[in-house]
Amino acid sequence: MIPNASKAKSSIFTTSSMVKIGMLSGLGMVLMLLDFPLPIFPTFLKLDLSDAPAVIGTFAMGPAAGVMIELLKNVLKIIVRSNTGGVGELANFLVGIAYVIPLGLAYEKWQSRKGVAVGCILATLSMTIAGGILNYFIFIPAYAVVLGYPVDAFVSMAAKVNSSVVDLRTLILFAIMPFNFLKAIIVSVSGFGLFKALQPLWKMN
Amino acid sequence: MAMFKNITIGQYIPGSSIIHRLDPRTKILSTMFLIISLFLVDSFWGYGLIGLGIILVIRASEIPWKFVLRGLKPLFVILLLTVSLHLFMTEGEPIFQIWFLKVTREGVIRGLMMGFRLILLVVGTSLLTLTTSPINLTDGIESLLKPGKKIGIPAHELAMMMTIALRFIPTLLEETEKIMKAQMARGADFQSGGIIQRAKSLIPLLVPLFVNAFRRADDLAVAMEARGYRGGEGRTKFRELHFSKIDVIAIAIVAVSSVVVSILF
Repeated sequence: MIPNASKAKSSIFTTSSMVKIGMLSGLGMVLMLLDFPLPIFPTFLKLDLSDAPAVIGTFAMGPAAGVMIELLKNVLKIIVRSNTGGVGELANFLVGIAYVIPLGLAYEKWQSRKGVAVGCILATLSMTIAGGILNYFIFIPAYAVVLGYPVDAFVSMAAKVNSSVVDLRTLILFAIMPFNFLKAIIVSVSGFGLFKALQPLWKMN
Repeated sequence: MAMFKNITIGQYIPGSSIIHRLDPRTKILSTMFLIISLFLVDSFWGYGLIGLGIILVIRASEIPWKFVLRGLKPLFVILLLTVSLHLFMTEGEPIFQIWFLKVTREGVIRGLMMGFRLILLVVGTSLLTLTTSPINLTDGIESLLKPGKKIGIPAHELAMMMTIALRFIPTLLEETEKIMKAQMARGADFQSGGIIQRAKSLIPLLVPLFVNAFRRADDLAVAMEARGYRGGEGRTKFRELHFSKIDVIAIAIVAVSSVVVSILF
């Protein structure tokens, strides 16, 4: 029996990659515990650097690994502790992969700093837009069902801290999209910094 | 700075009660039944019966009430907000009025119902994590996903990666704290500055963390292959899951009662 026969179908399921993905997902959980709320945004949006392991995993093993890390991080969070009924984790996963996939594809095309820079810009745009669309059509209505709120409750909650919010569309435009944009910028800044420092880790092999 | 002192990973409370000894798959499936019926039920009688069932399970699990109710703490603000929103915003027959806040009969009913639904949802689902260790839970998920293999769900690989992540979370937490202290001793500042500044200041923390994580991963991968690990095909297990008679009875009770409650109420 050839040892690798069953694993040949996809390269992210080799022992080495699986262990790395597991380790990075664990690190993502750890970084999620370091999150800090943003002063000017509504309280249900929080900022954390837990996407950094997925970004590094993407550089080292390609976009599929990044998607896997995002998935595991959020499944683990549901198991370990969740207080949004799983909706927050689904949102984090989908917005996270909207960042990781363009970044991974750009980096696979140009394996250089230029690739990372182009990837970061594309990924930032993709994450901002995906965040807006998903929140408008799925997440805010889903929260409304799980918690039994009317959608207006979110609007009035956000209106308290940001006076330009008047309805769901302006909530997305003035609170959710800037938040995702800022989050993507932060992930990009730290991702680029980490890329420079950590390149030897995956260039060696 | 003892920032990680009071973070506990997972809520599992070890025990040997009948609920602890149930197969994790039984508990996962029962939790799903519970969630579905909570969304279908829409009357006080229904919530009361589900609540009674949950109370019986809590008693059988021998988990102190303190730990069960602790799960509600992060929910407190959301709960208060939900109940008061429904209380004041629902149109209907007014009961009394304080200044501009009008409390209606319908509002009281909706508010209490939504409050009950939330409490039951959180208490019921936290029973799963209170009585099942994360590793058992992962084994259960792997086994439940196995039929999905035909459509390309990598059940074994997912479970393996989750197990590795769970195993290393405490190690990585400890390491994060150690590196943070080491960098602060060298003058690093993680607390001040704007958002971008703070994200940048975390890089001296993240770089050694990632280097160590990759090194640890390489060591583990070599160790696993040296012991002959080659994926899920034909792998034997130290802990095997067994459906016992009690599991069959438990799942039958949960399934029948949740279907009955959902239909009747």
